[in-house]
Amino acid sequence: MLINGIQIDDTFAEAFNMRGTRIIITAQNLKWAYHAANAMTGFATSVIGCGVEAGIERELSANETPDNRPGVSVLMFAMGSKVLMQQLETRMGQCILTCPTAAAFAGITSEDNISLGKHLPYFGDGYQTSKLIHGIRYWRIPVMDGEFLTQETTGMVRAIGGGNFLILATSQPAALAAAETAVEAMKQVPNIIMPFPGGVVRSGSKVGSKYPKMFASTNDAFCPTLKGLVQTELSDDIESVMEIVIDGLTFEDIANAMRVGIQAICDLGADCGVKRISAGNYGGKLGPHLFKLHDILSIQTS
Amino acid sequence: MSALTFTLKNSPISKLDCRQLTPNLLANLTITEIENIPLSSQKNAPKVADFFEVSGSDTQTVHFKNATAQLNFIGHQMTKGTIVVNGDCGDFLGANMQGGTIIVKGNVKDRLGDQMRRGLILVDGNAADYCASRMIAGTIGIYGTAGTHVGFAMKRGTILLTQTPKLLATMQDCGTHTLPFLALLFRAFTTLPTRFNNIQTHRVQRYAGDLASNGRGEILVFSSR
Repeated sequence: MLINGIQIDDTFAEAFNMRGTRIIITAQNLKWAYHAANAMTGFATSVIGCGVEAGIERELSANETPDNRPGVSVLMFAMGSKVLMQQLETRMGQCILTCPTAAAFAGITSEDNISLGKHLPYFGDGYQTSKLIHGIRYWRIPVMDGEFLTQETTGMVRAIGGGNFLILATSQPAALAAAETAVEAMKQVPNIIMPFPGGVVRSGSKVGSKYPKMFASTNDAFCPTLKGLVQTELSDDIESVMEIVIDGLTFEDIANAMRVGIQAICDLGADCGVKRISAGNYGGKLGPHLFKLHDILSIQTS
Repeated sequence: MSALTFTLKNSPISKLDCRQLTPNLLANLTITEIENIPLSSQKNAPKVADFFEVSGSDTQTVHFKNATAQLNFIGHQMTKGTIVVNGDCGDFLGANMQGGTIIVKGNVKDRLGDQMRRGLILVDGNAADYCASRMIAGTIGIYGTAGTHVGFAMKRGTILLTQTPKLLATMQDCGTHTLPFLALLFRAFTTLPTRFNNIQTHRVQRYAGDLASNGRGEILVFSSR
């Protein structure tokens, strides 16, 4: 498949099941909502080392939030419900409770509820109080800037992680510029996050390693400096590869984000330095969800 | 479905016990069954139909019309639904309440919300003495004035006032604050027919008490309307 001079490989991204949740963070203004959300979603790029993958989904205006203050919505994903609960509570305690004027609310409803601020109130040392408003329990915890307000629980849903595509370009600046363009376009897509720094990952991995203790190691087939050493996936003109990883609430959300991102790059045309779009997979052995690039992009063209 | 409405025919000479007329106890009853509910446990107790005209069908939204201060125990032990009182109420409005909402358009007598555990009571008019006495938790709002002994022996819960009453010595002034949870609370009020929707500020004087009980309740007095 060729779109605007850029080749789309006949391959697929392989994704796996995760558990996800959404949290709404509000604050006195967007600046402090971002401070809280950035802290909460910091060190949350990959479940391999961080426990969760988290990111800011979008900005919320004051009339979109429960307490009529500006805020952001955060999506957080983990491989299991237990890890998600642990990480959420830790990050609530260290990043939201601590952030001036920040408050936290559930951003998703589900039959499965996990604790957002169930154990945090003990920080109040007996001075914490709860309020039941319209059947939803909130906690008020006295803190030095006034009161920290948090909803008691948020919903947990089944989600998908690991949707991705690879951008193969003739130079590192070209690959990164194209990736940035894709990320900007994909930020407009709801229900997804791109958990890596700036939405882009340069160290795509393969399963396993020559070292027995390593579960994952560098994706040598896509490393440009190893072209002559390994069974490479790169042609001579490819000098740099960037990957965009997507976690989302449903298959459609991720497929939609991949389509928007790839299309944004293709719109740049072949002159931007991007030669090919590919995807990372494990031969279909690891995850149950396969995002076939040709299928995803043919929906756009049909 | 229209609200189940109890219209008082004549103001009774003696107090009427309305504790049977809650959404909990009225659920699934027909109009005829409701009209035959005795208003006390005495042998020749008067029945609902002796004092009220009953109309409507939604037992989870109960309205009292032409209500007077002779009606005691409205909303007693209710756990769900809404009661709207057009007129005044007697003593023990919402006593032992465990959920739901009560809106009063007029004035309320003594012991409003006595031992209330959960739920919301909003009064457009005044409350007499011992408002929120022995309150366990929940929210009570008095838009008018409150009498003496507000929050007497309250454990937890929130009392919203617009004027500072004569407070018990066991209520401690915690200063003036803008409390974030009031934004949520007032957002919930917007669907209710209450004068509290006139309040534009979330800035309150906070009094904590009753310290003679466990002192985790609060009286919040709005700085200005």
